[in-house]
Order: sequence, then structure tokens, then C-alpha cells
Amino acid sequence: MMKIRNLIAITGIALMASITGAQANDPAKLNDLQIAHVAYTADNIDIRYAHLALAISTNPKIHEFARTMIRDHTAVNEQALALLKKLKANPQDNILSKQLTANSHKLVDKMSKLRGKAFDRFYAKNELGYHKAVNNLVANAFIPNIENAEVKSLFKAGLKIFKVHEHHAAMMVKGLK
Amino acid sequence: MRRITIPRREVVGWAVAAFAAAVIPFTIPVVAKMTPPSTNHIVEIQNFVFSPATLKVKVGDRITWINKDIVPHTATAHDKSWDTGNLKPNDRGTVTVTKDMFAGYFCRFHPSMKAKIDVQ
Repeated sequence: MMKIRNLIAITGIALMASITGAQANDPAKLNDLQIAHVAYTADNIDIRYAHLALAISTNPKIHEFARTMIRDHTAVNEQALALLKKLKANPQDNILSKQLTANSHKLVDKMSKLRGKAFDRFYAKNELGYHKAVNNLVANAFIPNIENAEVKSLFKAGLKIFKVHEHHAAMMVKGLK
Repeated sequence: MRRITIPRREVVGWAVAAFAAAVIPFTIPVVAKMTPPSTNHIVEIQNFVFSPATLKVKVGDRITWINKDIVPHTATAHDKSWDTGNLKPNDRGTVTVTKDMFAGYFCRFHPSMKAKIDVQ
């Protein structure tokens, strides 16, 4: 938890603030099926942001990045659902998933009002912060606590993908300065 | 005695055939030596890395990329002159090496993924 709190201090992201707020309830104490639900929710939120970017932005680099987010997060979610089906399990909704979703609604409302470079910069910066925050959560709170070996393996594969996204987002932020 | 005349065209034809029969057996190995058979190379894409990062090839060889990740990738020349197209998980994409093939390539979806082809 300490590392997650430090991240909040560094990034100042509202999303993470509310994650910890909800998790006096500790994210490290979620079970595998709750963790799977959080990851699935986080993937879908990023897909939603990407669709918004495709609708509002006219910047080809933003479009390219957004299409990659849709493609990759959809692929990871398909893998996750296939694994849960194989394990005959269903993801369990929980307070962290609910907080993520509530924050995303607020952020979508805010981004929907932006246009041009203001939108592009906000989207790119948010993507960088979002991936940093979620990657930190996955690396430090989820992976060490997942019990099922196959679920853990999928999360490790997912983390590699999302670190590449984080790097891509950082390049995008740099290019928009 | 009746004289048999052979049309000039046939004489030339036999001469060419005889020359070819004598010369070709010696020529073929030489030709084969000059144009060695093409090779099929494999580049694996795994954990967002092209492996090998540098592939030595010669003109006429074929390069096949295999995507072993769980998300789609591409192998695309930096100047966009060649492209495997979208490679879904476990898909393969093949390109034949040409003389002026652009060496550096990347994944269009994940631009930090880079590698190169070394045409000998």
C-alpha cells in the first residue's frame, strides 16, 4: 500500500485518491475474482476513453494510440473472459471497480467538453497517469496476492502490455508539448 | 546412288542440341552456384520484442513473423514500403527480401518495438 500512496502523492490523480479512499479496504486484500473484475473494469474504461478520443480528436497520433488501446485492451479482456470460463468462475463486482467506474464517468464528462489541442493534451496526460496508476496497482497490490497460477500469469502478461502503453503515452505527452 | 540431302535448318538444330548436351552438364552446377537457394527465416514476436533484433538475409529469402503475444502486432518498414499487415495472436506474415528493401522496421501499433533486416 505504501507504494500506491506514494504514487498518489506523485501524480495527484483523483482516480488513485479515490481508490485508496475506498480501500481503507485494501486492494491487496481482494480475492482473485474481485481482482479480475477490477482489471476488466479498468480495461473497459480505457476503451471508453479511446472511443471518446476517436470521436473528438483530429490528431492522427492520438487516433493511432486510441486504436491501439481499443485493440489491446479488448484482446486482454477476451483472454481474461476465456480463462474465467475455463475456470468456471465469474468476476465479482466490488467497491474498487465501482470507484473506478464512478471516476471514469466524471472524467468522460470533463473530456467531452474539451476540443483541439486542449483535448489532445488532457487525453494524453490522463492516459499516462492512468496507465502508471493501474500498472502500479497491478504490480504491487494484485500480482503478489493472486492465488490462481493461470490468473497470475495473465496479469503478468497484461502488465508487460500496459507498461508498453505507458511508455507510448509518455512519448505522446512529450510530442504534444 | 541417290544423294540424301539434309535441310540446313536440321543440321543447325542437331549442332545446337549436340552442343547443349556437351555443355549443359558443366554449366548447371556453375549456375546453381551463382544463385543459391533462398532461405526461409523466422522472426518471433514475444513480450513486445522482435527476435532476432537483427536478421541477416539475402535477396530472394523469405522472412516470416510469428506473433506469440496475446495482442496484435505488425512488422512495418519505417518508410512504410513493406508491411506484414495486422498479425493477430498466433498469426504469421511473410515478406520476400528484395534488393532495395528498407532495413529498419517497427510495430505500427507499438512504435517502441523496433528491429532491422541486414540484406547481405
